[in-house]
Amino acid sequence: MHRRRALVVFVNSVVALIGGGVTAILGAFALRPSTTADRRWIRAGALSDLTPNEPVPRVLSISRQDGWYRERARETVFLVWDGGKRIHALSATCTHLGCQVRWDAGSTKFRCPCHGGVFDQHGNVVEGPPPRALNRVDVRVERGGETVLVRL
Amino acid sequence: MKRVVDWLHARTGFRTARHALLDEPLPPGTGWFFTLGSVLLGLLSVQILTGAFLTLYYAATPDHAYDSIRFIISTAPGRIVRGLHHYGASFIVVAVLLHMVRVVAFGSYKSPREATWLSGLLLLGLILAFSLTGYLLPWDQRAYWATVVTINISRLTPGAGELVGGLLRGGASIGALTLTRWYALHVIFLPAALAVLVVLHIVLMRRQGISGPVRERAGEPLPFYPWQAARDTTVVALVLVALAAFAWNGAPPLEAPADPSDSTYIPRPEWYFLGLFQLLKYFPGKWEVVGAMVVPGMVAALLVLLPWLDRSASRDPRRRPLVMLFFSAGLFGVVLLTSLGWRDRPRSEGSTTMWTLREIGGRQMAQSAGCATCHAAEGAADPLESLAASRGPEWLAGHVEDPQMIAPGLREPPRPIGEREVAAIVAYVRKLSRQPYPGFDTATETAATVFARYCVGCHTVDGDGGKDGPDLSHIGAKHDAAYIRHLVADPEAVNPDAEMPAFRSRLNDAQLEAIAAFLAARK
Repeated sequence: MHRRRALVVFVNSVVALIGGGVTAILGAFALRPSTTADRRWIRAGALSDLTPNEPVPRVLSISRQDGWYRERARETVFLVWDGGKRIHALSATCTHLGCQVRWDAGSTKFRCPCHGGVFDQHGNVVEGPPPRALNRVDVRVERGGETVLVRL
Repeated sequence: MKRVVDWLHARTGFRTARHALLDEPLPPGTGWFFTLGSVLLGLLSVQILTGAFLTLYYAATPDHAYDSIRFIISTAPGRIVRGLHHYGASFIVVAVLLHMVRVVAFGSYKSPREATWLSGLLLLGLILAFSLTGYLLPWDQRAYWATVVTINISRLTPGAGELVGGLLRGGASIGALTLTRWYALHVIFLPAALAVLVVLHIVLMRRQGISGPVRERAGEPLPFYPWQAARDTTVVALVLVALAAFAWNGAPPLEAPADPSDSTYIPRPEWYFLGLFQLLKYFPGKWEVVGAMVVPGMVAALLVLLPWLDRSASRDPRRRPLVMLFFSAGLFGVVLLTSLGWRDRPRSEGSTTMWTLREIGGRQMAQSAGCATCHAAEGAADPLESLAASRGPEWLAGHVEDPQMIAPGLREPPRPIGEREVAAIVAYVRKLSRQPYPGFDTATETAATVFARYCVGCHTVDGDGGKDGPDLSHIGAKHDAAYIRHLVADPEAVNPDAEMPAFRSRLNDAQLEAIAAFLAARK
């Protein structure tokens, strides 16, 4: 009966080991870390395309990797240049519910067409329901203003 | 704890089920030879599990199948899971054959176990159908061309060739409809049939009892668990460790994406079909159907009829010399054909590592065609150097001609581009996605560009190019650089009957110099 007991332990532990190994590999496979969004710098124009202190919308075509699928999306970015050294870029997506804001030159404000959110030219909320300022997009200028790059 | 288990038993009766599953009394002398069924059950479980998880990422369309597999093997767990599934198929084929050898040697197919034998043969056919359908799914060259051959063989079916071929193909040609069809077979229809047949096979085995050793031995029957289960577990564990060792570095690498227009690819089946493949070579022309259908059909018929052909009471192999002789001869034939097929298997890798002139020339053309406006580190698409081209050549050619067509958006209108440039750029990009550009000296690159733009229409070098003019692979053995330069610039001045156009006005001195020097060096 000792022999039987030993065999039971042997069989059960080997089966458990196999099950554990298979589960570990398949689990790691199923839970593969979602590929980090690969943001990259893309050209959004030149300084000569911009007007000082006037947000200029640029529609950029970006491609995002979604697993094995490459997705192409368009995203609107406002470039705001002070005419000198300072430039910043704002995402056109309203922080309230994701509508695309427009620049209203008359009142020098960004207005959201959906629920009346209003932002100033730095993206700060002036009026309405948006919970926070428009998202900032990294921007840099290269080649003496010939290339303005944003990171999307 | 005991109360919980008792409650569970009262509600489900699981102890009865466990007793029925595990405590089957086995005849004394049941030994290591009887572990192969469990090995198969273990391997099939691995296939089903890895297969189910692979479907999390696999996409069965010609546009995405290849990319999705490349995505799967981009991480270590993915490589291992795909490796397990790939090598698991081979392990199963080997285990099925060993299981069958054991059953024949022990005479286990004899009355009253004929039905078990027949269900086993059906399972063997099912296993082969699994590997055949699974082979197509990566949608690389190997997958595509092996399937072309399989479907063409199926069309030899007497009387119903087109019907069977069309049924397997799904569409007018091998393409999207074939892929979805074979995928559905591989993951839905065949697994359903497998589940039914495996259960049937085991139920029949249990109903008739295991056959046990060929001559009865004295002793008490012992329950399966843990006595035989210990042997089964040992062998299963060893087999799975071996499988994991194979799978650790993943399946063999993918080949280039499927390319129906490639006339140079030489199809090769998976190793366990090499025997059948080899058999076809001995039946040329109208006799092919003999190798493809008649011989395999006769072997299958003999196996089906085996329990009725061998009706002697004894299960001892020594008392059944005729059966053992025929079966060994058949097995030897299969092994022989497979090894002949293995030695005879075509190798198509060799030449692909060399860069052809067209591919080298394509590089300069790609640079001047403005591909880098978008294919750049900061552009909308990946740089050509890090691009993994998974599209077929037609798609690439269409994209080179008009990038907007495929990627509409903020592209500049395409510069008109000639047919030869397109072909060269496509060749370059396809090569580049398989191996990095090795770098050539400027003179070679210039010569290659000239060749790929002008000469390639009529002349061949190293097997790539047109056939209207002479092959220039060894032209340097006949003529020196000065002569070639003169001829290229003004053929009629060298030979009044020359049909070749003069290139004096189209090539500058540096280009003439480069192509002449390059060709003169081709001895």
